[in-house]
Amino acid sequence: MYDNFLVRSDSLQNVEKDGKIVGFKFAVRVANYRGLFVSLASGFYVNMDGVEYPEDALTLEINGKPPRTLAELAKSTWEFWNYQDEHVYLNVAKEGGLAPGKHRLGYLPVTMNDYGYHLHDKEWIKNPPKPGMGGGKTSRVCWFDLDLQ
Amino acid sequence: MTLTTNLFRSKIKRGVSLYCYQQADFFHKMTWKDQLREVATGLNGATGVEIISETTIPNYPNPPESFIEEWNSEIARWGLTAVTMDTYIDSLMFRDHVMTIGECAEKLKMDLKLAHKLGFQFLRPCTNLPLAAIASVLPLAEELGVTIAREIHSPATIHPTRNVYGDVVAQAVAFIQTTGTKNYCLMPDMGIFQDRPSPVTIGYTLRGLGFNKEDSLKSADEIFDASFEMDRDAFQIWLEKNYKDLTQTRIAGMFKNGNSTDPLELFSIFPYIKCLHGKFYNMTEIPGKPGQYEERSILYKEVINLLNDCLFDGYINSEFEGQRDQQDMGVEGLVDEVEQVRRHHEMMQRLIDNDEYFIKV
Repeated sequence: MYDNFLVRSDSLQNVEKDGKIVGFKFAVRVANYRGLFVSLASGFYVNMDGVEYPEDALTLEINGKPPRTLAELAKSTWEFWNYQDEHVYLNVAKEGGLAPGKHRLGYLPVTMNDYGYHLHDKEWIKNPPKPGMGGGKTSRVCWFDLDLQ
Repeated sequence: MTLTTNLFRSKIKRGVSLYCYQQADFFHKMTWKDQLREVATGLNGATGVEIISETTIPNYPNPPESFIEEWNSEIARWGLTAVTMDTYIDSLMFRDHVMTIGECAEKLKMDLKLAHKLGFQFLRPCTNLPLAAIASVLPLAEELGVTIAREIHSPATIHPTRNVYGDVVAQAVAFIQTTGTKNYCLMPDMGIFQDRPSPVTIGYTLRGLGFNKEDSLKSADEIFDASFEMDRDAFQIWLEKNYKDLTQTRIAGMFKNGNSTDPLELFSIFPYIKCLHGKFYNMTEIPGKPGQYEERSILYKEVINLLNDCLFDGYINSEFEGQRDQQDMGVEGLVDEVEQVRRHHEMMQRLIDNDEYFIKV
């Protein structure tokens, strides 16, 4: 759900660190009718201009804290991702960032929140679900045309 | 007129789950305060409020004290009743192990305390939970005066032989009888009485097959009309024949469930029902009756008549779920949740007061 609205269209920007551009980021929303514990945000599919980015290139900036890796997110058990939050950014490491102008993003979040206990629980602890196989309300890659100023 | 019950006015109460306004909340069009105002002032006497904990409560499960104070003061300001807090158990939240029964019980206790602080009468955790965890928190539920509601949600049905999950409802009844608890009850969702796909879901499914917006809406209406011309088996065959791309899986998805429940099955569990979810997808005006609305895919009239027969005096809380099947049509295609809930309450009040049914006194 909210497939067309999961990424804010005016949010794409390059990320600078120590005077160098180290990647880009965009603002993401919850793909569900409710918020979730940050630990349950287990993965993201990111395809920018035809390039798929591996999970170790991704960090999430949420609740005013510095960007965190997926392994760090997994430990954020009681921290909450509020449903209304518009200030959550997915950071993608890419030396030099993106050029100004139009870009096409394919995005799909993977979450492990569901409704109580399931037969796949033990398997998901060992192998978190792949994009499209998670417990959220969106299971297909959503596409966005973004403009980098 | 043989039933004495018919002499009295209905005792059924109307409420709203703020779930109905999820889209307005997402797009920052309505805060929870705006939503409470709408429930109190826009619905001709609705009094009940239900929330999804993880949607409405900031920084759940540890909201700031200021939120708890504001919540209770807004509820009092509008003269509303906090009926139910809906919450979830995330069995994988620790990520390094599956939540144990003990941890599940601790989470339920946390939710019971929070529900109590916010003045709720019922806590509805999600359904797939071990009864052992529920049993261990019953003393706290009793102490706080909060009742745990076990939802019956599609694809579950009431009667065990038709229930894809097995005899879960019978187990819940046995649990109540064995423990003798007054703090565990059943909460049917009106979605179990859905007997045909909603046109909004049909339209969404067709657009997934490549139909454009106009064609999908036109065909959805045709398909929906056809569903009234034949029984369910014939309808499925008709669908497969006329819409070749509609696979069995897609058709099952359109129905949202395996079997719809016969409203008469409510009799068998009536003593354990304390509240209901008024699930709906699409309220449309009744032809020739301006200002009167109906949800044609769910057996509302039959169920409300039966609840009146049984002198039901609890809440039916609106649960609008037609948003997500229309969000693919762009900003201009987004449905007006406030209008849908107003229509739902027009229908509920009319059915509750059924003129053919009660003697006016």
